[in-house]
Amino acid sequence: MMNRTTTIPGIRSGFHPVKIVFIIILLSGLAVFPFVSGNRFYISLITEMMIYGLLAMSLDVLLGYTGLLSFMHNAYLGISAYAVGLFLIHVSPTSFWLACLAGIAFTCVVALPVGWVQVRTGGLAFALLTLAFGMMFHTIVWKWYDVTGGDDGLMGMPNPDISLFGIYIGNSGDPLVIYMFTLIIVTFCFFLTRRIINSPFGAALEAIRENESRAAFIGINVRKYKLLGWMMACLLASIAGALFILYKGYVGPSTMSAFAGAGVLMMVLLGGMGSLWGPLAGAVFFIYIQDYISTMTEHWEIFLGLVVIFLVLFMPTGFAGLAGHIRRLRKE
Amino acid sequence: MSGTLGIIVDITLNSLVLSGVFLIVAIGLNITYGLSRIMNMGHGALYAVGAYVGFSLVASGLNFFAALLIAPLIVGVIGLIIERTIIAPMRKRSMAYTLILTYGLMFFLDGSIKYIWGNKPRFIELPGFMQGTLPILGTDYPVFRLMTLLLIILIMGALMLFLNKTKIGIILRASSTIPEMVSCLGVNMSYVHMGAFVLGCVMAGLAGIIAGPLTTIDPLMGGEMLISSFVVIVIGGLGSLRGAVIAALLVGVVQTLAEFFITDLAMVIVYILMAVILAFMPRGLLGEGKFE
Amino acid sequence: MKRLITISLSIMIAVMFLAPCPVCAKKPVKIGVLVPLTGIAAQGGLEMKYGIEMAAQEKGTVLGSPIKLLVEDTQVKPPIAVSKAEKLVYKDDCKALIGVLSSGVGLALAKNIDKLNVPFLSTHVMTTKFYGLHPMVFRSGQLANDQTAVGNVKGILARPDLKNRTYYVLVHDYSWGHDAGERFIALAKKNGIKIYNENYDKAPIKTKDWSSYISKIKASGADGVYMAFITNVIPVFAKQAADFGLQGKVKLVSAAAPGPLELAAGGTACHGIFGVSDWSWDVNNPTSDDWEMRFWNTYKTIPSDAAVHSYVGAMNLFNAIDKAGSTDAKAIAAALKGISYDGPYGTVRISAKDNCMRNDAVLTETMAAPDNPFGAKVYMKVLDTFPAAELGPPEQETHDDTKG
Repeated sequence: MMNRTTTIPGIRSGFHPVKIVFIIILLSGLAVFPFVSGNRFYISLITEMMIYGLLAMSLDVLLGYTGLLSFMHNAYLGISAYAVGLFLIHVSPTSFWLACLAGIAFTCVVALPVGWVQVRTGGLAFALLTLAFGMMFHTIVWKWYDVTGGDDGLMGMPNPDISLFGIYIGNSGDPLVIYMFTLIIVTFCFFLTRRIINSPFGAALEAIRENESRAAFIGINVRKYKLLGWMMACLLASIAGALFILYKGYVGPSTMSAFAGAGVLMMVLLGGMGSLWGPLAGAVFFIYIQDYISTMTEHWEIFLGLVVIFLVLFMPTGFAGLAGHIRRLRKE
Repeated sequence: MSGTLGIIVDITLNSLVLSGVFLIVAIGLNITYGLSRIMNMGHGALYAVGAYVGFSLVASGLNFFAALLIAPLIVGVIGLIIERTIIAPMRKRSMAYTLILTYGLMFFLDGSIKYIWGNKPRFIELPGFMQGTLPILGTDYPVFRLMTLLLIILIMGALMLFLNKTKIGIILRASSTIPEMVSCLGVNMSYVHMGAFVLGCVMAGLAGIIAGPLTTIDPLMGGEMLISSFVVIVIGGLGSLRGAVIAALLVGVVQTLAEFFITDLAMVIVYILMAVILAFMPRGLLGEGKFE
Repeated sequence: MKRLITISLSIMIAVMFLAPCPVCAKKPVKIGVLVPLTGIAAQGGLEMKYGIEMAAQEKGTVLGSPIKLLVEDTQVKPPIAVSKAEKLVYKDDCKALIGVLSSGVGLALAKNIDKLNVPFLSTHVMTTKFYGLHPMVFRSGQLANDQTAVGNVKGILARPDLKNRTYYVLVHDYSWGHDAGERFIALAKKNGIKIYNENYDKAPIKTKDWSSYISKIKASGADGVYMAFITNVIPVFAKQAADFGLQGKVKLVSAAAPGPLELAAGGTACHGIFGVSDWSWDVNNPTSDDWEMRFWNTYKTIPSDAAVHSYVGAMNLFNAIDKAGSTDAKAIAAALKGISYDGPYGTVRISAKDNCMRNDAVLTETMAAPDNPFGAKVYMKVLDTFPAAELGPPEQETHDDTKG
């Protein structure tokens, strides 16, 4: 898969110099933002946007690149968040990296058999299976009161210190530390995912998305690649889950509900499938708009519904598609 | 209070009524999907609209049976407006978009319901002769639940007659299997799609006013019913009418039995049932798309 | 294509520009109100909002500045509530948080209160976990689960038609329901009240069709039901039980006071539900009667216990800010300890020991309402009054008596 690992991700072909400048400005802007603004609400909001952006990006790997629709990708964020939290509570309250690793590993262990069952189907059946499994996980978390805390959520999670190679970075209870940590991890995941998607592995996934039987004819093991695509999406979702619980210090079953899952799907579609950065932008927009409208009026559902309907009708390819149009218009 | 026989009768009737409501909602969803290839996430909200409209009609002094006819028609008109304005332009796009579009529709309808009728639960006042209980085989069962069962059977019979015997019904069924052929015969497919969508909405409205007195009317009824009916059509096979009948019975019976005997895990069992069936039969019990 | 892009861009720009402008006047003291306005408990949330708003209007100013309430919808979802709380505190600079209906949301907020660093007073959370939970977390509102259980057991023992029944315990499947069920069962057993199912039934919150449970109750032969449901489900269950002919034969005792609006919707099927509450509009004293009319004239909504105890809770908070003399979090928290307010249902005092309120309670039964200005058809008739000291939990007075 990674046969050209010597290439520095980000400077490979496909990144226009203007884009590189833009990315650098964006990243450095985000990095200095907390020191300029100091408003902890925005720090929190951006952290949440980045975490959900990562989740939306992971769904994009599945939906935009492999052509598989998952209604409840948030289930894997939830599973990972619970696993990290439970590890910190019951096993070791200080081992930060070990907890993250445990959460990610546990999520993969759960996702593998589910994925194995799911990839035997395709299309809408796959989508509805994700719904069935997602609902099952949601109900289990709700009912398994002794372990998960039921609807009260997972309480009493300690805040471990984060240190890397013996260097102390900060305490995970500090919003600023989590903000920076999230920024670094999400950026890293973005470039890594982009690298993987642009490899032959990504090409195989896209071939499956375009036409499953043709992909099979040219010798791609469709089920294996679908499963790999699924596992990659779940892996990224589990990283988002680990970040989620570190950021909130808390996780409850509503994070894993069907409606939250549809929200993630909406982020991907708003942003534009198959672009990786689109879903990130979609998450930023979706979280902002939801937060904003629900503050304005108790009848926020009406307006959220209208915004979604308008966006789907008039901006069907999302932000990514919009950017493409603008680029084309400039060339004309 | 009641003997073993009474308990058995109770459970049987309870599960039949529950299955019946699931069936009417799921059939509506299946008609929309089977005929116009739209998975309508707003179906549950339309079901709630039907219930609320029915409530308002009855509360304004209209006879319950008249409301039973008018409420679904009103929902049908709402469905027509929705189809013409937002669904029709989206028909050529990928299914994911119509899913999200109708998801937005669901938010809009749910929000509107809350705006118009408020949050408190509503109850449909039933005509006098439907209140009270009827003694059957050692138990007292509410008259109107028995009437509901009868009504659901009548509706299903009428629907079967409509789809099998009338010209419109035959066109609808034909266009689900070979749309190109139907189109060649001079039928405007956009009208077929419209008709199917509206029929689906009418079924949702009908289910709403039937279920209204049975349960309660509150703004959350739609979302919850949507998920239950999803389970039903997925188990039965998307777009399959017979599959929906079998699956509705299965889910209704399993849920009732689970609630009665192992109360705690009732919902988990329904989802596990769904996952197990799908794991072995990915296209549901009767397979996808067989509209019969 | 160009047109499409223009339209979509203009929508986005319009939305972005609607962004809240930085609040111009910095004068008022801002209080964050967190209540559910959507979801299953939306009606209760709305009534809480009314109560808190009414208190703010009547109190007018704290520390000489006007009170400004900022209301956010928790959607009964803990993570959303925490985000909203962060917004209220970090962005809008609220000095205190008030409201919150469900225990899950309350506990999630309490978990984050160190970070938020403002006092949080719940006016509705009933969980016993709130006792002495955190120095900045308070309760002044709905009776807690233990207090409700004590009141209901006292009520059942006091009434011959309730005393010699066997109770079937049925609760909503979430933490509050479990807690309410367990506390009642433990206390009932101690007092010789017969319980049919000590391993009580838990029904999912989304249950709409209660027929399975009702059939189960019929089959069990129990002639009483102790139910712990979210308020607006109480009339739903009562209605369906009445449909099955159980009304009158099986007595219903509720762990949560049914809301008067929901009762009115349910009609005669909702007669005969027992339960303790802090207040009902049948409480007849000048303060209460006056409050009812003020509430009715402002909101044209039947006054409910959710509204009145939120009103009292808000008054306690506002008075505490005045008493603290500043909006400093620690000072307000210190002032809240032991504060009390004489309102429609007597003195409501926040215990200095565990930060939770103590007040009297009434045992009520729902029945056809007499003529009343609110047009209510069903009301909660007051049968008995239990003094605060009998409801517990006991507290040692380690603090100066602040009543005065």
